[in-house]
Amino acid sequence: MKYKQELIKSMNYLATKPNTIFLGQSVAFSGNAIYNTLVGVPNKKKLEMPVFEDAQMGMSLGLAMNGFVPITCYPRFDFLILAFNQLVNHLDKVRKMSLNEIKPRVIIRTSIGSKKPLDGGPQHTQDYTKIFKDTLTEVKVVFLNSPKQILPAFKKAYLDKNSYSYLFIENGDFYNQK
Amino acid sequence: MITKKELIDFELDIKKFYESGKIKAPIHLSGNNESELIKIFKKIHKNDWVFSTWRNHYHALLKGIPQDWLKKEIIAGRSMGINSIKQKFFSSAIVAGIIPIALGVAKAMKLKNKNNTNKVWVFIGDMTFETGMFHECYKYAKNHKLPLKFVVEDNGLSTNTPTNKVWIKKSKKPKDVIYYKYKRKFPHHGTGGWVLF
Repeated sequence: MKYKQELIKSMNYLATKPNTIFLGQSVAFSGNAIYNTLVGVPNKKKLEMPVFEDAQMGMSLGLAMNGFVPITCYPRFDFLILAFNQLVNHLDKVRKMSLNEIKPRVIIRTSIGSKKPLDGGPQHTQDYTKIFKDTLTEVKVVFLNSPKQILPAFKKAYLDKNSYSYLFIENGDFYNQK
Repeated sequence: MITKKELIDFELDIKKFYESGKIKAPIHLSGNNESELIKIFKKIHKNDWVFSTWRNHYHALLKGIPQDWLKKEIIAGRSMGINSIKQKFFSSAIVAGIIPIALGVAKAMKLKNKNNTNKVWVFIGDMTFETGMFHECYKYAKNHKLPLKFVVEDNGLSTNTPTNKVWIKKSKKPKDVIYYKYKRKFPHHGTGGWVLF
Protein backbone atom coordinates (compact mmCIF):
# COMPACT_ATOMS: atom_id res chain seq x y z
CA MET A 1 0.00 0.00 0.00
CA LYS A 2 2.74 2.39 -1.03
CA TYR A 3 0.29 4.71 -2.83
CA LYS A 4 -1.43 5.76 0.38
CA GLN A 5 1.87 5.88 2.29
CA GLU A 6 3.40 8.19 -0.32
CA LEU A 7 0.36 10.47 -0.07
CA ILE A 8 0.77 10.56 3.72
CA LYS A 9 4.47 11.32 3.29
CA SER A 10 3.66 14.12 0.84
CA MET A 11 1.10 15.69 3.16
CA ASN A 12 3.57 15.46 6.07
CA TYR A 13 6.14 17.24 3.89
CA LEU A 14 3.67 20.01 3.03
CA ALA A 15 2.62 20.30 6.68
CA THR A 16 6.20 21.24 7.66
CA LYS A 17 5.92 24.42 5.60
CA PRO A 18 4.76 27.42 7.62
CA ASN A 19 2.62 28.91 4.83
CA THR A 20 0.55 25.81 3.99
CA ILE A 21 -3.04 25.27 5.08
CA PHE A 22 -5.27 22.27 4.39
CA LEU A 23 -8.94 22.85 3.65
CA GLY A 24 -11.96 20.94 2.47
CA GLN A 25 -14.75 18.74 3.69
CA SER A 26 -13.45 15.89 5.88
CA VAL A 27 -9.96 17.25 6.40
CA ALA A 28 -10.43 17.55 10.18
CA PHE A 29 -13.26 15.04 10.58
CA SER A 30 -13.23 11.51 9.18
CA GLY A 31 -15.34 10.56 6.19
CA ASN A 32 -13.22 9.90 3.15
CA ALA A 33 -9.95 8.47 1.86
CA ILE A 34 -8.18 11.82 1.66
CA TYR A 35 -8.79 12.32 5.40
CA ASN A 36 -6.74 9.17 6.04
CA THR A 37 -3.75 10.75 4.28
CA LEU A 38 -3.82 13.79 6.59
CA VAL A 39 -3.18 11.85 9.80
CA GLY A 40 0.22 13.52 10.25
CA VAL A 41 -1.03 17.05 9.61
CA PRO A 42 -1.53 19.05 12.83
CA ASN A 43 -5.14 20.09 13.45
CA LYS A 44 -4.17 23.76 13.65
CA LYS A 45 -3.26 23.60 9.95
CA LYS A 46 -6.66 22.18 8.94
CA LEU A 47 -9.74 24.19 8.00
CA GLU A 48 -12.85 22.04 7.85
CA MET A 49 -15.18 23.53 5.25
CA PRO A 50 -18.93 23.53 4.87
CA VAL A 51 -20.27 21.95 1.71
CA PHE A 52 -19.80 24.91 -0.63
CA GLU A 53 -17.37 23.62 -3.21
CA ASP A 54 -17.26 26.63 -5.52
CA ALA A 55 -16.81 29.00 -2.57
CA GLN A 56 -14.02 26.76 -1.26
CA MET A 57 -12.13 27.13 -4.55
CA GLY A 58 -12.60 30.90 -4.50
CA MET A 59 -11.47 31.01 -0.87
CA SER A 60 -8.38 29.00 -1.79
CA LEU A 61 -7.48 31.62 -4.38
CA GLY A 62 -8.08 34.39 -1.83
CA LEU A 63 -5.88 32.63 0.74
CA ALA A 64 -3.15 32.28 -1.91
CA MET A 65 -3.45 35.98 -2.77
CA ASN A 66 -2.63 36.73 0.84
CA GLY A 67 0.44 34.54 1.27
CA PHE A 68 -0.86 31.04 1.97
CA VAL A 69 -0.32 27.85 -0.03
CA PRO A 70 -3.71 26.14 0.31
CA ILE A 71 -4.00 22.39 -0.15
CA THR A 72 -7.66 22.34 -1.08
CA CYS A 73 -9.26 18.90 -0.99
CA TYR A 74 -12.24 17.56 -2.94
CA PRO A 75 -12.92 13.96 -1.85
CA ARG A 76 -14.33 12.89 -5.21
CA PHE A 77 -13.87 14.12 -8.78
CA ASP A 78 -17.67 14.27 -9.06
CA PHE A 79 -17.71 16.95 -6.33
CA LEU A 80 -14.94 19.01 -7.93
CA ILE A 81 -17.32 19.65 -10.83
CA LEU A 82 -19.19 21.98 -8.45
CA ALA A 83 -16.05 24.14 -8.19
CA PHE A 84 -15.43 24.23 -11.93
CA ASN A 85 -16.63 27.84 -12.14
CA GLN A 86 -14.04 29.29 -9.76
CA LEU A 87 -11.35 26.95 -11.05
CA VAL A 88 -11.82 27.84 -14.71
CA ASN A 89 -12.96 31.46 -14.53
CA HIS A 90 -10.66 32.69 -11.78
CA LEU A 91 -7.82 30.45 -10.62
CA ASP A 92 -6.99 29.52 -14.20
CA LYS A 93 -7.35 33.07 -15.57
CA VAL A 94 -6.01 35.31 -12.84
CA ARG A 95 -2.46 35.58 -14.20
CA LYS A 96 -3.75 36.72 -17.55
CA MET A 97 -6.19 39.11 -15.87
CA SER A 98 -3.48 40.67 -13.70
CA LEU A 99 -0.68 40.73 -16.29
CA ASN A 100 1.19 38.13 -14.23
CA GLU A 101 1.05 40.16 -11.02
CA ILE A 102 -1.18 37.68 -9.20
CA LYS A 103 0.44 34.23 -9.25
CA PRO A 104 -1.51 32.05 -6.83
CA ARG A 105 -0.01 28.74 -5.76
CA VAL A 106 -2.98 26.50 -4.95
CA ILE A 107 -2.60 22.73 -4.64
CA ILE A 108 -5.87 20.96 -5.41
CA ARG A 109 -6.42 17.32 -4.47
CA THR A 110 -9.19 15.15 -5.79
CA SER A 111 -9.78 11.44 -6.25
CA ILE A 112 -11.59 9.23 -8.71
CA GLY A 113 -13.98 7.29 -6.50
CA SER A 114 -13.09 3.66 -5.87
CA LYS A 115 -15.11 0.82 -7.45
CA LYS A 116 -13.86 -1.97 -5.21
CA PRO A 117 -14.99 -3.48 -2.93
CA LEU A 118 -17.98 -1.12 -3.25
CA ASP A 119 -18.88 0.57 -6.53
CA GLY A 120 -20.02 4.11 -5.86
CA GLY A 121 -21.95 4.27 -9.13
CA PRO A 122 -22.27 7.00 -11.78
CA GLN A 123 -22.19 9.99 -9.42
CA HIS A 124 -19.26 8.91 -7.24
CA THR A 125 -16.70 7.26 -9.54
CA GLN A 126 -16.22 9.43 -12.63
CA ASP A 127 -12.87 10.32 -14.15
CA TYR A 128 -12.96 13.79 -15.74
CA THR A 129 -9.18 14.09 -16.20
CA LYS A 130 -9.36 14.69 -19.96
CA ILE A 131 -11.99 17.41 -19.64
CA PHE A 132 -9.95 19.27 -17.02
CA LYS A 133 -6.73 18.90 -19.04
CA ASP A 134 -8.47 20.18 -22.16
CA THR A 135 -10.03 23.14 -20.32
CA LEU A 136 -7.38 24.44 -17.95
CA THR A 137 -4.72 26.66 -19.50
CA GLU A 138 -2.60 27.68 -16.51
CA VAL A 139 -3.42 25.22 -13.75
CA LYS A 140 -1.28 22.10 -14.19
CA VAL A 141 -3.21 18.82 -14.18
CA VAL A 142 -1.35 15.75 -12.90
CA PHE A 143 -2.77 12.23 -12.64
CA LEU A 144 -1.03 10.34 -9.84
CA ASN A 145 -0.60 6.90 -11.31
CA SER A 146 2.31 5.39 -9.41
CA PRO A 147 3.50 5.65 -5.80
CA LYS A 148 7.01 6.79 -6.72
CA GLN A 149 5.59 9.74 -8.63
CA ILE A 150 3.68 11.18 -5.66
CA LEU A 151 6.17 12.88 -3.32
CA PRO A 152 8.25 14.45 -6.15
CA ALA A 153 5.03 15.76 -7.71
CA PHE A 154 3.87 17.51 -4.53
CA LYS A 155 7.40 18.84 -3.87
CA LYS A 156 7.52 20.25 -7.39
CA ALA A 157 4.17 21.95 -6.90
CA TYR A 158 5.23 23.54 -3.63
CA LEU A 159 8.61 24.67 -4.98
CA ASP A 160 7.55 25.64 -8.53
CA LYS A 161 9.54 28.77 -9.37
CA ASN A 162 6.71 30.08 -11.52
CA SER A 163 4.21 29.61 -8.70
CA TYR A 164 1.70 27.70 -10.78
CA SER A 165 -1.35 26.01 -9.29
CA TYR A 166 -1.68 22.23 -9.58
CA LEU A 167 -4.58 19.83 -9.71
CA PHE A 168 -3.58 16.36 -8.49
CA ILE A 169 -5.90 13.51 -9.40
CA GLU A 170 -5.72 10.33 -7.35
CA ASN A 171 -7.52 7.03 -7.83
CA GLY A 172 -9.33 5.65 -4.82
CA ASP A 173 -8.76 2.05 -5.90
CA PHE A 174 -4.97 2.60 -5.93
CA TYR A 175 -5.08 3.17 -2.14
CA ASN A 176 -5.61 -0.60 -1.78
CA GLN A 177 -3.99 -1.88 -5.00
CA LYS A 178 -0.63 -0.12 -5.28
CA MET B 1 -9.69 61.70 -2.30
CA ILE B 2 -10.86 62.13 -5.87
CA THR B 3 -13.81 64.53 -6.24
CA LYS B 4 -17.27 63.96 -7.70
CA LYS B 5 -16.42 66.13 -10.70
CA GLU B 6 -13.18 64.22 -11.34
CA LEU B 7 -15.08 60.92 -11.29
CA ILE B 8 -17.67 62.19 -13.77
CA ASP B 9 -15.01 63.73 -16.03
CA PHE B 10 -13.03 60.47 -16.06
CA GLU B 11 -15.99 58.47 -17.34
CA LEU B 12 -16.83 61.15 -19.92
CA ASP B 13 -13.26 60.96 -21.16
CA ILE B 14 -13.50 57.16 -21.45
CA LYS B 15 -16.85 57.58 -23.23
CA LYS B 16 -15.15 59.82 -25.80
CA PHE B 17 -12.36 57.29 -26.41
CA TYR B 18 -14.85 54.44 -26.72
CA GLU B 19 -17.02 56.35 -29.18
CA SER B 20 -13.99 57.09 -31.32
CA GLY B 21 -13.53 53.31 -31.69
CA LYS B 22 -10.22 53.21 -29.80
CA ILE B 23 -11.31 50.72 -27.14
CA LYS B 24 -11.83 47.29 -28.67
CA ALA B 25 -13.52 45.69 -25.67
CA PRO B 26 -16.70 46.22 -23.65
CA ILE B 27 -16.82 49.04 -21.12
CA HIS B 28 -19.29 49.45 -18.26
CA LEU B 29 -19.45 53.09 -17.25
CA SER B 30 -20.43 54.30 -13.80
CA GLY B 31 -22.64 57.29 -13.08
CA ASN B 32 -25.23 58.79 -10.74
CA ASN B 33 -23.68 57.16 -7.65
CA GLU B 34 -20.70 59.43 -7.02
CA SER B 35 -21.95 60.92 -3.73
CA GLU B 36 -22.88 57.54 -2.23
CA LEU B 37 -19.50 56.05 -3.13
CA ILE B 38 -17.47 59.01 -1.88
CA LYS B 39 -19.24 58.65 1.48
CA ILE B 40 -18.54 54.89 1.63
CA PHE B 41 -14.91 55.21 0.58
CA LYS B 42 -14.25 57.64 3.45
CA LYS B 43 -14.41 54.49 5.63
CA ILE B 44 -12.06 52.47 3.40
CA HIS B 45 -8.37 52.58 4.26
CA LYS B 46 -5.31 52.19 2.05
CA ASN B 47 -4.52 48.72 3.44
CA ASP B 48 -8.08 47.47 3.05
CA TRP B 49 -8.89 45.30 0.03
CA VAL B 50 -11.61 46.31 -2.41
CA PHE B 51 -13.36 43.74 -4.64
CA SER B 52 -15.43 45.01 -7.52
CA THR B 53 -17.18 43.95 -10.69
CA TRP B 54 -17.12 44.66 -14.41
CA ARG B 55 -18.37 48.17 -13.51
CA ASN B 56 -15.32 49.13 -11.50
CA HIS B 57 -13.92 52.48 -12.70
CA TYR B 58 -15.31 54.55 -9.79
CA HIS B 59 -14.28 51.95 -7.20
CA ALA B 60 -10.74 51.81 -8.61
CA LEU B 61 -10.33 55.59 -8.67
CA LEU B 62 -11.71 55.97 -5.14
CA LYS B 63 -9.36 53.22 -3.91
CA GLY B 64 -6.47 55.37 -5.12
CA ILE B 65 -5.56 53.75 -8.42
CA PRO B 66 -3.92 56.49 -10.55
CA GLN B 67 -6.14 57.82 -13.33
CA ASP B 68 -3.42 57.47 -15.99
CA TRP B 69 -2.79 53.81 -15.20
CA LEU B 70 -6.50 53.03 -15.12
CA LYS B 71 -7.10 54.81 -18.41
CA LYS B 72 -4.30 52.83 -20.09
CA GLU B 73 -5.79 49.55 -18.80
CA ILE B 74 -9.23 50.49 -20.10
CA ILE B 75 -7.91 51.52 -23.50
CA ALA B 76 -5.96 48.24 -23.63
CA GLY B 77 -9.30 46.42 -23.30
CA ARG B 78 -9.11 45.34 -19.68
CA SER B 79 -11.92 47.46 -18.23
CA MET B 80 -13.86 44.43 -16.96
CA GLY B 81 -10.97 43.04 -14.94
CA ILE B 82 -8.97 45.82 -13.28
CA ASN B 83 -6.55 44.19 -10.85
CA SER B 84 -3.67 45.44 -8.73
CA ILE B 85 -2.09 43.65 -5.78
CA LYS B 86 -0.18 46.86 -4.96
CA GLN B 87 -3.44 48.78 -4.62
CA LYS B 88 -5.24 45.81 -3.04
CA PHE B 89 -7.90 45.93 -5.73
CA PHE B 90 -9.51 43.01 -7.58
CA SER B 91 -12.38 42.89 -10.02
CA SER B 92 -14.00 40.18 -12.08
CA ALA B 93 -16.55 39.91 -14.86
CA ILE B 94 -18.17 36.75 -13.47
CA VAL B 95 -21.34 37.40 -11.45
CA ALA B 96 -20.65 36.72 -7.74
CA GLY B 97 -17.16 35.50 -8.65
CA ILE B 98 -15.37 37.95 -6.37
CA ILE B 99 -17.28 36.99 -3.24
CA PRO B 100 -15.52 33.75 -2.20
CA ILE B 101 -12.14 35.15 -3.26
CA ALA B 102 -12.73 38.11 -0.96
CA LEU B 103 -13.78 35.64 1.73
CA GLY B 104 -10.43 33.86 1.36
CA VAL B 105 -8.50 37.12 1.64
CA ALA B 106 -10.47 38.02 4.78
CA LYS B 107 -9.83 34.56 6.25
CA ALA B 108 -6.11 34.92 5.53
CA MET B 109 -6.04 38.33 7.24
CA LYS B 110 -7.57 36.89 10.39
CA LEU B 111 -5.37 33.76 10.36
CA LYS B 112 -2.24 35.89 10.05
CA ASN B 113 -3.18 38.45 12.68
CA LYS B 114 -5.93 38.02 15.25
CA ASN B 115 -5.73 41.74 16.01
CA ASN B 116 -6.07 42.66 12.34
CA THR B 117 -8.00 45.90 11.80
CA ASN B 118 -7.99 45.94 8.00
CA LYS B 119 -11.12 45.03 6.08
CA VAL B 120 -12.14 43.48 2.79
CA TRP B 121 -14.88 45.43 0.99
CA VAL B 122 -17.02 43.71 -1.63
CA PHE B 123 -19.19 45.74 -4.01
CA ILE B 124 -22.03 43.79 -5.63
CA GLY B 125 -25.21 44.53 -7.51
CA ASP B 126 -28.79 43.79 -6.45
CA MET B 127 -29.03 40.62 -8.57
CA THR B 128 -25.78 39.26 -7.12
CA PHE B 129 -27.13 39.95 -3.65
CA GLU B 130 -29.87 37.39 -4.40
CA THR B 131 -27.42 34.61 -5.37
CA GLY B 132 -26.70 31.55 -3.28
CA MET B 133 -23.02 32.45 -3.37
CA PHE B 134 -23.68 35.74 -1.57
CA HIS B 135 -25.74 34.04 1.12
CA GLU B 136 -23.22 31.23 1.69
CA CYS B 137 -20.27 33.58 1.97
CA TYR B 138 -22.11 36.23 4.01
CA LYS B 139 -23.12 33.54 6.51
CA TYR B 140 -19.58 32.13 6.70
CA ALA B 141 -17.99 35.55 7.15
CA LYS B 142 -20.50 36.65 9.79
CA ASN B 143 -20.34 33.43 11.84
CA HIS B 144 -16.54 33.26 11.64
CA LYS B 145 -16.28 36.98 12.45
CA LEU B 146 -14.21 37.76 9.37
CA PRO B 147 -13.39 41.35 8.39
CA LEU B 148 -15.62 41.29 5.30
CA LYS B 149 -17.98 44.13 4.47
CA PHE B 150 -20.57 43.99 1.70
CA VAL B 151 -21.93 46.97 -0.23
CA VAL B 152 -25.02 46.39 -2.38
CA GLU B 153 -25.42 48.86 -5.24
CA ASP B 154 -29.01 48.55 -6.33
CA ASN B 155 -29.82 49.87 -9.80
CA GLY B 156 -32.66 47.37 -10.14
CA LEU B 157 -31.15 45.65 -13.15
CA SER B 158 -28.85 42.81 -14.11
CA THR B 159 -27.75 43.68 -17.64
CA ASN B 160 -31.33 44.69 -18.59
CA THR B 161 -33.22 42.09 -16.56
CA PRO B 162 -35.23 43.66 -13.71
CA THR B 163 -34.32 41.91 -10.46
CA ASN B 164 -37.79 42.52 -8.98
CA LYS B 165 -39.48 40.97 -11.97
CA VAL B 166 -37.58 37.68 -11.97
CA TRP B 167 -37.43 37.17 -8.18
CA ILE B 168 -40.90 38.72 -7.60
CA LYS B 169 -39.44 40.50 -4.57
CA LYS B 170 -35.98 41.21 -3.26
CA SER B 171 -34.55 39.71 -0.09
CA LYS B 172 -34.21 41.76 3.08
CA LYS B 173 -30.84 43.39 3.52
CA PRO B 174 -29.07 42.48 6.75
CA LYS B 175 -28.24 45.49 8.94
CA ASP B 176 -24.50 44.98 8.56
CA VAL B 177 -24.69 45.20 4.76
CA ILE B 178 -24.35 48.70 3.30
CA TYR B 179 -27.07 49.31 0.76
CA TYR B 180 -27.93 52.15 -1.59
CA LYS B 181 -30.18 52.63 -4.59
CA TYR B 182 -29.42 54.57 -7.75
CA LYS B 183 -30.57 54.92 -11.33
CA ARG B 184 -27.91 54.03 -13.85
CA LYS B 185 -26.70 56.82 -16.10
CA PHE B 186 -25.30 54.71 -18.93
CA PRO B 187 -26.50 51.47 -20.56
CA HIS B 188 -25.24 48.15 -19.14
CA HIS B 189 -22.27 48.34 -21.49
CA GLY B 190 -21.13 50.85 -24.04
CA THR B 191 -22.40 54.43 -24.13
CA GLY B 192 -25.70 54.10 -25.93
CA GLY B 193 -24.35 55.62 -29.13
CA TRP B 194 -23.48 53.94 -32.41
CA VAL B 195 -19.76 53.23 -32.66
CA LEU B 196 -17.84 52.20 -35.76
CA PHE B 197 -14.96 49.92 -34.72
